[in-house]
Amino acid sequence: MTPRLTRRDFIKVGAGTAVATGLGSAARKILLEPFVRPPEDVLPGQATWYASTCRQCAAGCGIIVRVINGRAKKIEGNPLHPLNRGKLCARGQAGLQVLYNPDRLRNAVRQTGGRGSRTFEPLYWDAALDLLTEKIGALSDPGRLAFLGGLMPDHLYRLASLFCDGLGAPPPVIFDLHSALEGRATADRLSKAFFGSDELPVYDLAHTEVVLSFGANFLETWMSPVAQSRNYGRLRQGPFGGRGLLVQIEPRLSATAASADEWIPVRPGTEAHVALALGRIIVEERLGHVGSHRSYAVLYQDVEVGDMAQASDVSVETLRRLARVFADADHAVAIPGGYLAGHRNGLAGMLAVQALNVLAAQVGREGGVFLSHPAPASALAQTARVDTFDRVGDLIARMRAGEVDVLMVHGANPIFELPAAAGFAEAVSHVPFVVSFNSFVDETAIQADLLLPDHSYLESWGYQVPAPGADRPVVSAQQPVVRPLYDTRATADVLLALASRLGGPAAAALPWVDEVAFLESSLGELVSSSLSAFPADTAGDFWAVWRRSGGWWSEKEIPREPEVTSVVETPLRVVEPTSEGDSGSYPFLLYPYPSVSLSDGRGANLPWLQETPDPMTTVSWGTWVELHPETARSLGVVDDDVVRVVSPFGSLEAPVVVYPGIRPDVVAIPIGQGHVDYGRFAERRGGNPLALVAPVTDPDSGAWAWAATRVRLEATGRRKALARLESLEGAGRESLR
Amino acid sequence: MKASNGRRGFALLWPGLSLVLVVLVVGAALLSRRVALAAPAQPIAFPHRLHANAGVPCLFCHPNAMRSPIAGLPSVQRCMGCHAYVERGNPEVKKIAQYWEEEKPIPWARVILEPDFVYFSHQPHLSAGLNCETCHGDVASMGTYQPVARMDMGWCLDCHLEQPQEDAARLTDCLTCHR
Repeated sequence: MTPRLTRRDFIKVGAGTAVATGLGSAARKILLEPFVRPPEDVLPGQATWYASTCRQCAAGCGIIVRVINGRAKKIEGNPLHPLNRGKLCARGQAGLQVLYNPDRLRNAVRQTGGRGSRTFEPLYWDAALDLLTEKIGALSDPGRLAFLGGLMPDHLYRLASLFCDGLGAPPPVIFDLHSALEGRATADRLSKAFFGSDELPVYDLAHTEVVLSFGANFLETWMSPVAQSRNYGRLRQGPFGGRGLLVQIEPRLSATAASADEWIPVRPGTEAHVALALGRIIVEERLGHVGSHRSYAVLYQDVEVGDMAQASDVSVETLRRLARVFADADHAVAIPGGYLAGHRNGLAGMLAVQALNVLAAQVGREGGVFLSHPAPASALAQTARVDTFDRVGDLIARMRAGEVDVLMVHGANPIFELPAAAGFAEAVSHVPFVVSFNSFVDETAIQADLLLPDHSYLESWGYQVPAPGADRPVVSAQQPVVRPLYDTRATADVLLALASRLGGPAAAALPWVDEVAFLESSLGELVSSSLSAFPADTAGDFWAVWRRSGGWWSEKEIPREPEVTSVVETPLRVVEPTSEGDSGSYPFLLYPYPSVSLSDGRGANLPWLQETPDPMTTVSWGTWVELHPETARSLGVVDDDVVRVVSPFGSLEAPVVVYPGIRPDVVAIPIGQGHVDYGRFAERRGGNPLALVAPVTDPDSGAWAWAATRVRLEATGRRKALARLESLEGAGRESLR
Repeated sequence: MKASNGRRGFALLWPGLSLVLVVLVVGAALLSRRVALAAPAQPIAFPHRLHANAGVPCLFCHPNAMRSPIAGLPSVQRCMGCHAYVERGNPEVKKIAQYWEEEKPIPWARVILEPDFVYFSHQPHLSAGLNCETCHGDVASMGTYQPVARMDMGWCLDCHLEQPQEDAARLTDCLTCHR
């Protein structure tokens, strides 16, 4: 018999070993590594806070970043900034993981093994610029250069526009999925139609009593969620004595709807029918205290309340109740949200919602809808306008026809963000030379020949004019909070260097020596402005104050009343929603919605955001399919059963989340996962619902109708457990029963 | 026979193991005392003596002691500020030059380490008029730094208790250092 170690003996020996090992640490060696070259303003052990601007979405919130020993440690909201007043969302907080991401491109590279080969050869920046200069110089016609931008900061958009203009190339095409999902392009059109202005209006949530939100998830990703969340908080504090009333009208209960007093699960695409019916009832029954509605009666002459109720699946009683509540309130506002813009009747629908604000005389009023005042500098008026899907379609057609020889991409990832059926990936193979300025090798950058990574936003200069703005003119400042970690280069500096190498009209259009010189000249007009909250006498003072406070804004509120155009003199149209795929073979409508944390997928490479649970389902790290309990029952599936979602354009498999907050005829899938490239945290995780979506547009606006595709469901018989923060009604705790 | 051998071996196991354990614990305890006062090997044999005698003040290389919790080590740039011109042939200086060329920090070994639960700041001590030598010893006569005190709580209190009555109460409060 061989000696056996008993459990007791094992513990004794184990404890002895632990003691000996523990004492070993007394002899450990700890390294102290001083800087090779110390950064400016660094005091070891003491934090320095730098003010800058968040670039995780288009909102342009002010941030302050705590920096110790030259390392950025924490991002918070800038308490002085008029937009977010010290608040910041989870995506903003996660910006540190953009800076420190292990998958960042660290220097300029060429993809030598051909596109998609992932064989990169490092290049000196001079050699890279020479190569690009040569390619642009060799163009037979400058019109064969195309610039595609995503979420570009305003200063870079202006510089890129000047660059294209100087060369004689078409202006940059701006498209990103986040903007498409919030209906930004359609909202631009709406503003133009109603107020004759390009600017997005501000819906004054803070000072209102009744909010009718038509598919605007304004507490999550829509437009300026931090400012809106703060103002929603003020609404609930009761500026007029009550708690306010929020009614959310949309087919799926979003986190915003969960915060609402009432959720109205309307038939998808008929949100505007509700708005039209409300308008008709207000006019017909002379509701409210505005006096005569006669001048607006013409708007609703084609509207029949009964028909609207039937089409939208909302009862006439509910419509009457809402009409009365909306019209009777002193301060009320109707918000046309991004979900409306995702339908083929998007612009017509948003017009119908905005008309309610005109009808109830809430335009330009406190608690209603107003325009923000522009900053007093002409250069700042040239801000990035999101292009519609139509214009992106034009670019794809030009590429496919071989009319583009050099494609430059900054911050856009169309191969992931556009529906697969739009054919961007195929079209790009017809372009002889593709340059990407993206910081990460994403699905589009992998199709580039030359990759010239921009700095991360915490290492960059810039400015942003928030749109929608605040209650006063604001220009947000962006400045490097740390020295660039790697051998990346600001795209603004790359464009300036290119222009100077190319010479001729391009060099004349871009005469600045570097990005900072360009910023100083763009902001020059602000120096002498008498509105400023932080007055400065000289350009030098201004530059110091600009960086210290995180931008320029007016000291006082300057509301601006929009002037309503003649749009209100023509009857509103009732446009029935249409969808792709016949309802026989494809009985459900697909609702791809932006994830609160990953947004349109750009947050998928940040582990903090991946592990942030979805507020409604508490799922993290994956893709799921939300089904109404009835739908799930008829399909014979339960939570965590994998289903296949099939559209005429593609299919996707994901586990089911049985979700009571959705209409039985709608299937919802969060957007954000399903990356093929984009770094270790994003790749091969979940699926991308955009592969299912039809490349169709709203004919009125040219915007992408991303919510107008029908699907069918097939059970696969497989199961895959989702990572949920919350257990499913005690599942997994059966032993406690 | 085989089995009984095994059993005898098993019987000797515990006294043997206990002995080893005692030796280990005592040895480790002695070692840790020695370690606390032993200086680790440094990547560069830096002579404090030479620099101090040449009239370089402490704060030239440890510049933050007056304004920060941490006195700080000189950046490689600070070293090269002089050594780009001075003593370039010295083999130890050549090592610095190599770090500088490779743009790498010098991996100094930490000599004094207060645990995380101690809040210590250089700034108030210097403001109260203490010299560097009071705590760190006669550095001007050393090569690489050799610790002169164990810098544990008793050592801190030795000094804090000697302060005038009105200060001593505050300086011996737990929360002064453990906060």
